[in-house]
Amino acid sequence: MFLYYVDLAWRSIKKTPVLSLLMVLAISIGIGITITTLNVYSMMSFNPAGERSDRLNAIQLWSQGVNSWDEYHSLVTYQDVMNLRQSGIPKAQAAMFRTGAAVQTDDPEFVPILRGIRVTDSGFFSLFSVPFLYGGAWDKSVDSDPQYQLVIGEKLNQSLFGGENSVGKTVYLNRKPYHVVGVIKEWNPQPKYYDPLNGAFNSAEQLFVPFSLTPIEEFDVWGNSSGWKFEPMTGYQSRLNSEKVWLEFWVDLPSEESRSAYRSFLSHYVEQQKQLNRFTDDKAAADSVQLSNVAEWLEMNNVVPEDNKILVGLSALFLCVCLVNILGLMLTKFLKRAPEVGVRRAIGASRGQIFAQYMVEVGVIGLFGGLLGLLWAWLALYSLSAKFDVADGLTNLSMSMWVITPSIAVGTALLAGLYPAWVVCRTKPSVYLKSQ
Amino acid sequence: MLTMKNISKVFKTDLVETHALRDFNLEVNEGEFVAVTGPSGSGKTTFLNIAGLLEGFTHGDYFLDGVNISNLSDNKAAAIRNEKIGFIFQGFNLIPDLNLAENVEVPLRYRGFSAKERQRRVQEALDKVGLGARMKHLPSQLSGGQQQRVAIARALAGEPRFLLADEPTGNLDSLMARQVMELLEEINKAGTTIIMVTHDPELARRAQRNIQIVDGQVCDFTLYQGGQAHVAQTEQKVAS
Repeated sequence: MFLYYVDLAWRSIKKTPVLSLLMVLAISIGIGITITTLNVYSMMSFNPAGERSDRLNAIQLWSQGVNSWDEYHSLVTYQDVMNLRQSGIPKAQAAMFRTGAAVQTDDPEFVPILRGIRVTDSGFFSLFSVPFLYGGAWDKSVDSDPQYQLVIGEKLNQSLFGGENSVGKTVYLNRKPYHVVGVIKEWNPQPKYYDPLNGAFNSAEQLFVPFSLTPIEEFDVWGNSSGWKFEPMTGYQSRLNSEKVWLEFWVDLPSEESRSAYRSFLSHYVEQQKQLNRFTDDKAAADSVQLSNVAEWLEMNNVVPEDNKILVGLSALFLCVCLVNILGLMLTKFLKRAPEVGVRRAIGASRGQIFAQYMVEVGVIGLFGGLLGLLWAWLALYSLSAKFDVADGLTNLSMSMWVITPSIAVGTALLAGLYPAWVVCRTKPSVYLKSQ
Repeated sequence: MLTMKNISKVFKTDLVETHALRDFNLEVNEGEFVAVTGPSGSGKTTFLNIAGLLEGFTHGDYFLDGVNISNLSDNKAAAIRNEKIGFIFQGFNLIPDLNLAENVEVPLRYRGFSAKERQRRVQEALDKVGLGARMKHLPSQLSGGQQQRVAIARALAGEPRFLLADEPTGNLDSLMARQVMELLEEINKAGTTIIMVTHDPELARRAQRNIQIVDGQVCDFTLYQGGQAHVAQTEQKVAS
């Protein structure tokens, strides 16, 4: 019977093309807007760490003094990073910040380009499961014994070396030679969860250099740097010794035991710093540390802004308005066919069969609306990307939307069709048989 | 086959109660051809709707094939309509978007017959009414008489036990009406019980029995045998 109902639905749509088109348009516009906002929202709220979300933790310390910030800062100081790096509890750990430099090769024809660089530890690559095309991360020993080594991204490798295996080759950063030890495969987690503070939807860097070079090279900080008290800055060393927070510090704690042990380690560390009169707030040591997994980290840093959630709600309301319009149109269309329903009922159709027939018609209209809505959503996202320079990561129509969109469209259409189908299936056949 | 005992049908509004049928009694036997006549508003169509399970009634009992079907659920009523009853209407009531074969096929679909069985029955029913060669035509491409024949084919396709016809010739000219009437007589001879509402006394005379309804009651019935009226009663009778 289902195919019979689909056939009847198609005939009905063809019979009233304008009314049907209006319904399809109403659904498609509502769906198009909802899916556009939902897509942006789902892209924003996606957790790219997946199963590793719980074990990857960003460290925050209550290092500020009394009458200062009243919440944890997302960043930590250089001295804290250097101290925390001594712990052997995490499976991997990485301090990091963003800098930039002019990039050059041995090729004299190559015009130097300015690129963002991630200054980090060797643990970064295992922490965030960075895939390698050639070579690998620099040796762990480089984290304490600075070497001019670097890892580059596939795209940069393409533009610098034509995509060939560049391990062992030299790249100049601000005219200083660095040896390539690894080339990473295309890798661009969205949101950029390891550093949402510098643009949660910016692309991942194409250059990675050892953190241990920081005091030597005195890299500029291309990111936030905050201090809770006045400290005179007389040089790079004074920045390193200051209470300024400007670094992110991530650890890999794969088990509950390691998390508990590390939390205890951090509490002892805070206690020790209090004794050294660094952490002057009277907050208890155990309450002065915060471990945030990836999901918590993304939420804490407002990767999905409140506005976006409101927008999703508004678009859902708009869909409801469309739904009410569709309901009215369907009621009109279905009641016009009440005489036919009367005949069908007279010759043996049950109410259930009539209800099913009309719900299938509604579903078919919803499906068309969904497909058209998908096109609207794609066009809207494309326009956002092309005209307003919104990050690509947010304007790609996610694969799940290709399934979700028609499902929502059919679902909402069925919801809107419930009442009209119910009304028409309750048609008293005898009322219409004389009047035909 | 069909027995109605003390059937009443009251239509109520806030202001007025209308008794469409009152203490209506009737029995129709298997294989009969019964004509129902009466003035407009007398309750003929209400009777037919109740007989065809298209409407419920307020009081009384209705037995079909010996089974009391006074309080049937909607689904059961639809199933009985589909299986046992065929309808022919004055306005033909064909579905305009469907071709002849598809129109005839509709009740068979609801009955759940296989495609092959449906095809066989549709062909047979349309052949019987002389329209087997025009299966793909739309109702709008046919004359009134032809459309009524298609409606008869649709009613016959499910091989119903009895056929309810509400002024089947009301919209036809005399030639067409005669053809349709001959077709109904033929169907009746083949064993199908027919109850036909008509205004036309000539047509009523061709039935085996004529029941006259006035003010919602059977007030007179005439038994025709060999073209002559044998019995006439002028008051409400329970044909039992």
